[in-house]
Amino acid sequence: MKAFEYATALTTDSARQLVANNGAYIAGGNDLLGLLKEYLISANILVNIKSLPDLDKIESGSKSWTIGALVTVGQIERHDEIAKAFPGLRDAASEIASPQIRNVATVGGNLAQHSRCWYYRHRDILCLKKGGDLCYARNSDNRYHSLFTGNECISPVVSSLATTFAALDATVIVLRDGKETPMSIADLYQTAWSDTPAHNSLNPGDLILRVEIPTARNRSAYLQVSDKHSFDWALVSCAAAANVTDGKLSQPRVALGSISPVPHQVETANQFLDGKTLDDATISQATDMILWGAKPLEHNAYKVPLARALIRRTLLKLKGEA
Amino acid sequence: MPSWPKETKYITHPTTRVDGPAKVTGNARYSSDIQADGWLYGMILRSKWPAATITAINLAPALKVPGIKAAVLAPALENNSDNFIVRFYGQELAAVCGTTKDACLDALRAIEVTAQPKEAFVVNENEAMKDGAPEVWAGQSNVSPGRPREQGNVDQAFGECAAVIEGFYSTPVQIHNPMETHGNTISWTDDGVTAWASTQGIGGVRNSLAGALRLDHSKVRVITDYMGGGFGAKFNAGVEGVLAAKLSQAAKAPVRLMLTRFDQALAVGNRPSSFQTIKMGALADGTLHAFEGENYGTAGVGASADAGGGGGGADIPMPYLYKVANSRVTQSAVMLNAGASRAFRAPSHPPASFGMECAMDDLAVKLGMDPLEFRLKNDPNEVRQREYKIGAEKFGWKEKYQKPGSSPGVVKTGVGCAGAAWGAGGPSKNTHGEAQINPDGSVEIRMGVQDLGTGTRTVIAVVAAEMLGLKPEQITVKIGDTNYPPGPGSGGSTTCASISPTVYDICTKALQQLQTQTGVADASGDNWFAACKKLGVTPLVAHGDWIDGLSTKPAYGVQFAEVDVDTETGLVTVKRVVAVHDCGLMIDTLTLESQINGGIIMGMGYALYEERVMDDLSGVVLNPNFETYKMPGIVDVPEIEVVLLNMPERGVIGIGEPATVPTAGAIANAVANAIGARVGSLPITPAKILAALGKVPPVEKT
Repeated sequence: MKAFEYATALTTDSARQLVANNGAYIAGGNDLLGLLKEYLISANILVNIKSLPDLDKIESGSKSWTIGALVTVGQIERHDEIAKAFPGLRDAASEIASPQIRNVATVGGNLAQHSRCWYYRHRDILCLKKGGDLCYARNSDNRYHSLFTGNECISPVVSSLATTFAALDATVIVLRDGKETPMSIADLYQTAWSDTPAHNSLNPGDLILRVEIPTARNRSAYLQVSDKHSFDWALVSCAAAANVTDGKLSQPRVALGSISPVPHQVETANQFLDGKTLDDATISQATDMILWGAKPLEHNAYKVPLARALIRRTLLKLKGEA
Repeated sequence: MPSWPKETKYITHPTTRVDGPAKVTGNARYSSDIQADGWLYGMILRSKWPAATITAINLAPALKVPGIKAAVLAPALENNSDNFIVRFYGQELAAVCGTTKDACLDALRAIEVTAQPKEAFVVNENEAMKDGAPEVWAGQSNVSPGRPREQGNVDQAFGECAAVIEGFYSTPVQIHNPMETHGNTISWTDDGVTAWASTQGIGGVRNSLAGALRLDHSKVRVITDYMGGGFGAKFNAGVEGVLAAKLSQAAKAPVRLMLTRFDQALAVGNRPSSFQTIKMGALADGTLHAFEGENYGTAGVGASADAGGGGGGADIPMPYLYKVANSRVTQSAVMLNAGASRAFRAPSHPPASFGMECAMDDLAVKLGMDPLEFRLKNDPNEVRQREYKIGAEKFGWKEKYQKPGSSPGVVKTGVGCAGAAWGAGGPSKNTHGEAQINPDGSVEIRMGVQDLGTGTRTVIAVVAAEMLGLKPEQITVKIGDTNYPPGPGSGGSTTCASISPTVYDICTKALQQLQTQTGVADASGDNWFAACKKLGVTPLVAHGDWIDGLSTKPAYGVQFAEVDVDTETGLVTVKRVVAVHDCGLMIDTLTLESQINGGIIMGMGYALYEERVMDDLSGVVLNPNFETYKMPGIVDVPEIEVVLLNMPERGVIGIGEPATVPTAGAIANAVANAIGARVGSLPITPAKILAALGKVPPVEKT
């Protein structure tokens, strides 16, 4: 591994200055260290941000909650109030990796993690995303890849927190050029949709500070299916949130993970579900809208029925029936 | 003839591992924990091409990396590094050693390899069999057809059958992933070589190292105090062992070269794949009457020279456990540009069991018979007949078995069963040992065997304690050193049947000598310390050998599985496994149950998760890690109930292998029973379940 310097930043300003010379922020390090060891990225300096003040807090509010970027996935999983306010978020957190990883993995790192495509991650393959001239997945083993994409790369987003934050219509506050910049989840991943080399829309030096979750929706749900029962990436994941009153949805949002480079959201489906009472026909119509235009590849077409099942179950869970 | 005692205090009782405390406190030093004075890290440079000609390797830049002490070529390149043919991704090219891991990693990147990569290579069995496929070995066909074996009149017999099925069943290459990776710490000085090896055969490592290094066997000492599993892939020194020795010689320091998990996926063995086409028919009364089986599979570039325990080939026994009067079997092995196979826990049996047991259920369904009844009708083995009946009772087969697909609801329940045989498991006659009885009554047993992780120390302590009338904790067991009297490698489930009669003999002789020297008629038990005191100052040393009449083979076994299958998501949950196994006289029922639990969990990984994925485009192993080479975790593991069939009259038999044989077949049959459709390809993933249920939309090939 290339030698690097290491510094602990005590203020966001110093963090920005330190990282400016081809640096990388490090918190839990789960993704970053793997990327460095496999030479997928290089950095002259690792800037430890774990000592930045106030980024490790979970704060409730009447209009929104704030979850700091340094809050660990394990903290979310074990937070009783989050379990009540955002059960979908708690469930998503509890499915991530293993307890050991959850105890060090941070919200910011989870959102900023790179593709898990097995070609991208392979040390001896130069794929399109890494600057090569061939998307191996498109032409070979794409069992874990996307049903949707806006560019040549078909590696899907795997952050299940991002999927859930999308359903909760959360805003990610990013420190960009010294300014706090609010980004929706769609904004945060837009570049991964459009640009082959991108994993998200963050620019070098951008620092995720916190996530703000509106309390407007009183219910949320999350489900995923993996090959195994634990410690495995989702084949497909689904999150949904809404205000549910007497079985009727308002401000509903549905998002899917592992089928697109971005958390997959279809605004027309969200609008269609608004004001509806969930029955089989409604769910089926919404599902058709959400999966409209899916382009299954040779080995991942199973994700279509899997996504259908998960959308239905997540909506039923949202309604309180599953 | 010698015979085991009828009344026992320890044999056939549960005894906790004598080295349990050392293991859980970290005091047990595994091969990968060894820190010899002045040791260096060693690492291997591997080919990044599946097929290439190496025309030059320049090690000099590696030696300039700070901390690097030596760099050597892999043995196969020593005399032809200007014209060396690479045949698989991950093949060893060179190795370095240095003071830190990072220095070694940098050095590996610094080595300049000049190569002509070949565009043409093949990593897929079906592609390799086609006319005009790239040749793995130039001038040789990739396919080595075996001679067809035929008995009876198969073609006529099919016409006489009341029901005939044709099925295609396939199993993937399973990668060897013991908890401790392959590797050694090796010190080569003027006095000779000392190797602290992670091995299941200290004798095999000594002989293979001595051979490769051109040293007398007497100049090589191998030590294996504790090691973390081998499963058939760790009998010899391997390329990594020879490289560690050469690095040690060059650097004049001990070198620890333990492979990484990445290395492990490429070049230290695996279970061959199988692609089985089975046509099988039965008469109206359910008697199997006609069988036609065609199988091909790959052992990669060829069954490895390091196979050691043998059985790394792609052939499988067909029609496995069952006698069919008219049968025809054709098998062939397919070469690929991929890492070679090695013996893997019950070589060739799990794929054979999977294919045949699936076919048995499919034919039973066609006949309208209960699959268990169909087995009882056709399984010629009396022990398994008993085991099926015991297991069915315990499992509740009668109450649970329903017609395929008839379980109501979205999440469907199903049951299945399958049988095992393990023809090895018997003893090695070349097992020796000695006991040193000290005047203070302490006992040391020394044997040149090793503990593969299965409880060898405990077995020795239990047998010695029983024979001497002492407690297991009073026996100090010294194993894992070629300086002790020689014993066999631990493979083929032979260890227990080899060491138990040997310890019996050692202890019988020790008691005789003790009587001769001290005049105490029966020195065992209560008289032990008084008798030993009479030895004066000099300990007594008694030698013993394996003796006949106390051990035998083979072992059988059956397993029942109950699963839930979510028909919308394809997720399979194994709820319960009931396993009925025999291994003659049981020595320690606790380590025995552990062996069976482990066999079932490994079989479950084979059934549902594990698969080496080769990439057709690049020729690499796509999943050289535990992220995408999936293994069962604790949440995946079902309730396991082990029923032990005690048959003391048979003597001691090994159990390591049969326990993993029938699991995948039983689970696959339970899945088919649940959903009413056959997933004939392992691993049974959600994607394959959804496909079998007809839920996956067709995809236009672009």
